[in-house]
Amino acid sequence: MSRTKMKAFAIVVVSALALTLAACNNGQSASPGNSGEPSRGTETKDVTITFQNINPDPSTPSYKMIKQIVGQYEQDHPHVKIELDSLNTDQQKLKLKTQAAAKEVPDITIVNPAAQMKPFVDAGLLAPLNDVADKEGLKDTFQNGLLNYYSFDDKLYAFPDGNNIEVVFYNKELFKQAGIQKLPTTFDELITTVKTLKAKGITPIAIGEKDSWTGSLLFMNILLRTNEGPNFLNDVLDGKKTFNDPAFVEAVDAFQELVQAGAFPDGATSIDYNAGGNIFKTGKAAMYIMGTWETGSIDASSVAGKVGAFQFPTVNGKGDVNEYVIAPGSAFAVSANSEHLQETKDFLHYFIKEMPKIQFDLKNAIGSGQKMKGDLKEAGYSELAISLNELFKNVKGGDLAFDNTMNPAIAQAHLSSIQNLFVQKEDSAQVAKEHQNTFEANK
Amino acid sequence: MNVLKVPARTIAVFVLPCLLLYTCMVFVPILVSVYCGLLDWNGIAEAKFVGLANFERIFTADSVFWPSVKRTMMFAVFSMLEIPFCLLLAILLNRYVRKANTLVTMYFLPVILSVVIIGQLWKTIYNPASMGGMLNGILMAIGLESWTRSWLTEPQIAMYALYFVSLWQYFGYHLLIQFTGVQNIPNELYEAAKIDGAEGFKADRYITLPLIVPIFKISIVLAFIGSLQSFDLIWVMTGGGPAHATDTVSTYMYNMSFLSMKYGYGSALASILVVICLSFTIVINFVFKRIENKVS
Repeated sequence: MSRTKMKAFAIVVVSALALTLAACNNGQSASPGNSGEPSRGTETKDVTITFQNINPDPSTPSYKMIKQIVGQYEQDHPHVKIELDSLNTDQQKLKLKTQAAAKEVPDITIVNPAAQMKPFVDAGLLAPLNDVADKEGLKDTFQNGLLNYYSFDDKLYAFPDGNNIEVVFYNKELFKQAGIQKLPTTFDELITTVKTLKAKGITPIAIGEKDSWTGSLLFMNILLRTNEGPNFLNDVLDGKKTFNDPAFVEAVDAFQELVQAGAFPDGATSIDYNAGGNIFKTGKAAMYIMGTWETGSIDASSVAGKVGAFQFPTVNGKGDVNEYVIAPGSAFAVSANSEHLQETKDFLHYFIKEMPKIQFDLKNAIGSGQKMKGDLKEAGYSELAISLNELFKNVKGGDLAFDNTMNPAIAQAHLSSIQNLFVQKEDSAQVAKEHQNTFEANK
Repeated sequence: MNVLKVPARTIAVFVLPCLLLYTCMVFVPILVSVYCGLLDWNGIAEAKFVGLANFERIFTADSVFWPSVKRTMMFAVFSMLEIPFCLLLAILLNRYVRKANTLVTMYFLPVILSVVIIGQLWKTIYNPASMGGMLNGILMAIGLESWTRSWLTEPQIAMYALYFVSLWQYFGYHLLIQFTGVQNIPNELYEAAKIDGAEGFKADRYITLPLIVPIFKISIVLAFIGSLQSFDLIWVMTGGGPAHATDTVSTYMYNMSFLSMKYGYGSALASILVVICLSFTIVINFVFKRIENKVS
């Protein structure tokens, strides 16, 4: 190498290094300095609060709810601007993870309960909200125990938007068409119902299993029954049980029975969640086993008025129908590094306080995480909504979804394992064993 | 460089900005992800250094990795196999079709469509007949009912359905490259050959083939490396499912990094993918150097 070439090369290397170092430096110095609480005196200063949310569809009641409350707040607090970053669920999850890796969580964001939010809490990215919860008794507007799913070490980190249970929605017209008189109350009856419907050329149960959590949610219903009560996964976590437990194996077998009976649409694993729901909402499938958060959109679809709901049946005589797979919503959390921590907390307090009233007016109150006031019938809620509201009154407890209980690595392995059952029959003991192996490898 | 008669400093002024950018955008991230591959990290919390544990697990204990490598390789091989057909078609078009450009443009159309659109389009074509799947519908209409199936969800078939879509999409792309290559061969050569008595296939053997080799190589490298990284189409159509049956290295990497939140493990997979791409580029270059020497 000639001298000049050497020189040029050296310049390249050095400047490349300098550039990367500079980049690193910037990243580090940005985070710690800004986290202090702003003093009270700055109250009149203009602030912008970023509000990441998962309601991008303007036609949904949830979207209208957020728009309305934010509008009200901005009117009353002219110096505060709320910037909405509306994404669909998958995008938001991914964006938040990327932001979290850079320690730049938006002022308000959406998290899921328990195991799914734990990594964020452990990394110190979320601000404790106990002071917000205590202010004006906000805590007491929530249903008992609901906030526990969002608390770690007695610190509350998020406020949920709902508390849903999983039920079996069914299309009364299609049931009638197939000549089914009685709603299934046992798993055997469910299988018979499936076969009857199938024989009439009706898709028995709608599902979009490309998003593999859907099948898992259904599976958890069965596990809740075969385990004769909740907490199977927690027992596994505590080392009291393993996945090789007979209850788990039995659940896998029952689930396979459902698949083999032809309960699900052809090519279920290529249908995504929305498309799966639409099979039911367009009247092409007789049942839809899903959370009560779907109530509003079922009432807004073409099968409105023809739909009823019943509890997931007992399996092999086991389980209590008043125990449910519970989905304690998705929740609003605040970034610990927020530049306007106090303003953000003030806004969130207002938001949560207003939410139940506005949700009620928008007919979106079924599965609300907060106690509702007002008469559903008077407010013009559907028959389905009212009947579901009755079910809520007898809820005895239940389990969270698999991915809310186990860490993401185990959850993903489980999800793909359940998805596999849709396309091929497996030895249930083997499925259980694989679960256990993954669990031990990723504990 | 001596021909230019400019000092190295001047060259550096022009080259450096790009080189710097390239280094920062390509090499630094590669190094960073190799480093991340040595960590046990969920992407958010404190990372733990675990040395080569991730790599060890990928090579010895991961039941998804090797099948996904195999599928990735198959993808690459399939995508190369269509290029000779493209060349043949290009030669025929050039020779027998007047205004072949229009045809080539039509074949090229799928390339400019977004992969998401392509994916959705073919997903609907592959759907079960009950959901309006066109392919199954046609099979039923012509009495081949026994051939109908759920193309994207049967583990043994799904991957081939995906290969096919990719072949369909890039057919026009490679055809255009080959066609341009063939067109660029001066006509005088063929006329001269004609005088010497070489026409048709013979002229192709001694004129077209040697001259098209560099273009052919470009196509092959693009197809091969492109399909080693195949991600978008698979993600849209099957998401790697059912149960990893259509996972390639890149979809599996995504799954691990962002869904399973094993960022370190995903980074290790990414590093392996870089090595695979790099080694195949070298191999292809080597092979073509020999071919070029032989045919010319």
